[in-house]
Amino acid sequence: MIECPSCKHQDFVGTLFCSECGSKLTHSAMVPEGVMKAQVNKIETSRPGSDGPRLESGAFLGLRVVDSGKVISLLGRDNFTLGRSGKSQAVIPDVDLLAYQAFDHGVSRIHAEIQMRSDGIFLIDLDSANNTLVNGHLLDPQIAYPIHHGDILELGGLRLELISRYRF
Amino acid sequence: MGGANDYYALLGVPRNATPDQLRRAYREAALLLHPDRNTDPNDTELFLEIGKAYETLIDPESRAEYDESLIDFEVEQAAKAGFICHVHQSRDSLLQLGEPQVHYLLLDILPSPDLPSTRSPINLCIVIDRSTSMQGQRLDQVRLAALNILEGLDHGDTVSIVAFNDRAELVVSPEQARDMSVARARFSLLQAGGGTEIGQGLELGLIQLQQTFIREGVNHLVLLTDGRTYGDEDLCLQLANRAAKLGITINAIGIGSDWSDRLVDELTTRTGGHVMFLDSPRSVADFLRRIFEDLARVYAGRMQLDGSLAQQVDLRSAFRLLPEPMPLADTLPIVMGNLGREGKIRLLLELVVHPIGQIEELDLAHFSISGDVLGLGAERQTLPVHVRSQVTKEPDLKPPAKEIVSALSYISLYRMQEKARHEAELGQTVQAARRLENLAAQLMASGERELAKAALNEAARVTRTRRLSNEGEKILKYGTRSLLLPAKTEDR
Repeated sequence: MIECPSCKHQDFVGTLFCSECGSKLTHSAMVPEGVMKAQVNKIETSRPGSDGPRLESGAFLGLRVVDSGKVISLLGRDNFTLGRSGKSQAVIPDVDLLAYQAFDHGVSRIHAEIQMRSDGIFLIDLDSANNTLVNGHLLDPQIAYPIHHGDILELGGLRLELISRYRF
Repeated sequence: MGGANDYYALLGVPRNATPDQLRRAYREAALLLHPDRNTDPNDTELFLEIGKAYETLIDPESRAEYDESLIDFEVEQAAKAGFICHVHQSRDSLLQLGEPQVHYLLLDILPSPDLPSTRSPINLCIVIDRSTSMQGQRLDQVRLAALNILEGLDHGDTVSIVAFNDRAELVVSPEQARDMSVARARFSLLQAGGGTEIGQGLELGLIQLQQTFIREGVNHLVLLTDGRTYGDEDLCLQLANRAAKLGITINAIGIGSDWSDRLVDELTTRTGGHVMFLDSPRSVADFLRRIFEDLARVYAGRMQLDGSLAQQVDLRSAFRLLPEPMPLADTLPIVMGNLGREGKIRLLLELVVHPIGQIEELDLAHFSISGDVLGLGAERQTLPVHVRSQVTKEPDLKPPAKEIVSALSYISLYRMQEKARHEAELGQTVQAARRLENLAAQLMASGERELAKAALNEAARVTRTRRLSNEGEKILKYGTRSLLLPAKTEDR
């Protein structure tokens, strides 16, 4: 984000005129401010072990299955239910983990939900049978828990790593 | 293959779409268009076409084959297209950035210099509001203006005049229009009275135009109104869609302060036309004459911008700067109206680019610009335009193109008045007044004293009465819009 020098309104990088007061932003848009610089650096320095996994997969928001390394891309919605599909099941989760041995790992049919909100990404356990953990921390059912790039989510015994290019 | 046979555009997916995206897009289209559901038989055809597109793209082998043929085809298409297009970008390179960024594209679309073009016949219907409020000077001036047009007709031109209040009638038929004394006599019978139902006038006007439709010419409707339409807004918009499909553009001239500017904006935009605002009827003849002269200079009609944007890119807004400034729909395809022989169509697209990681280049968009070049037979011309940008770690320090900065400076003023009006309607009086004061300051800085004064007046008015005046709304809206006219932007 860049900040308008006259009214302090924040606009996206690249904006040329403040959407709030109409002031010309060309100058500030060309020379990025601290907020933005910090962000650029953060991406450059993302290395496994330090600040989460490499961002080489191309996904913006995704889940890497820790066992197999496969990446599930989460696209086009603000919230995703996680679970596994079954025969003759009416409600199918947005992200079907059946292909990743979800059954053997004890993933419930509708296990948890990922929500994208303006203040971050959240994980909610939907009263699953075998619980949800974030970095080893047990979630209380139905309570939203903030998650970040690199967090390990455990749905039953299935381990997923969160990939997020969004800045939260 | 024509513009419609770009399978990616047809499915509404980027060219690098994953099989999953293809599947999803296909499923969504199928849900809408399946013969079990749809009501329009054309949709069934589209459904079959989309099925074919999906079949081709989902199989990697046939997709590779198709991609290759698409490239060849586009090269060939570009070489023989009737237009050329220049693209300017607000920055030479995008930033590798973990947050969204804004990027502007300025598209200049010009007629190809190789194709000779002559004046094409005009099929025009002038639709006149004759509700009670038009009585006196307004109707007199409109009458004179219309007669003035009839006097300047070319041999191949067809003109008819329709008048409406709560129903519509044909005042001057195309045959009567050829004989000035008959036309004059018919006009003298035109009296003001009754309510305003724009839909009635548009419907009869379109029927007239269809009867005298010229495939190789310019088909156009001019709406002259001074009042709010009653309860037929939906009909008006449906008629606008029908006009767009037929290739009929609609321009409107709004007189005074009491007409429904939002509806009229919307219905003209859908056809690629534009709106003019007159606070007094005296200049109506000049405006109508200007519209007619523009029609005589049309090179290509039914201009359209279609195609697909990259997955990381959204179109946030689109604005036509030339030939007439007008905000456009923010979804593809965008209806652009007519392209003049000497002029150009200039669009400003505002894109939001979502976080991009470590890539060096981004294919922002594959556009296709299509239109009917008049006098070239039935084949629609298509120009593929591929827009890509470098992606770097360091910001581009070069100042953006002058044209983009100057256009945006005025568009931002236009957006401010829109926001202020919206805030006033939501009852956020304080914000609305503050924004109008900001707007006044910016207008003053641009040397627009009259408009600045109007903005200040409205700011005071909002504080006092909690709303803007009808007149002030229109002065600010069309005033800030007209700042984008070339005379203003070029000397900046």
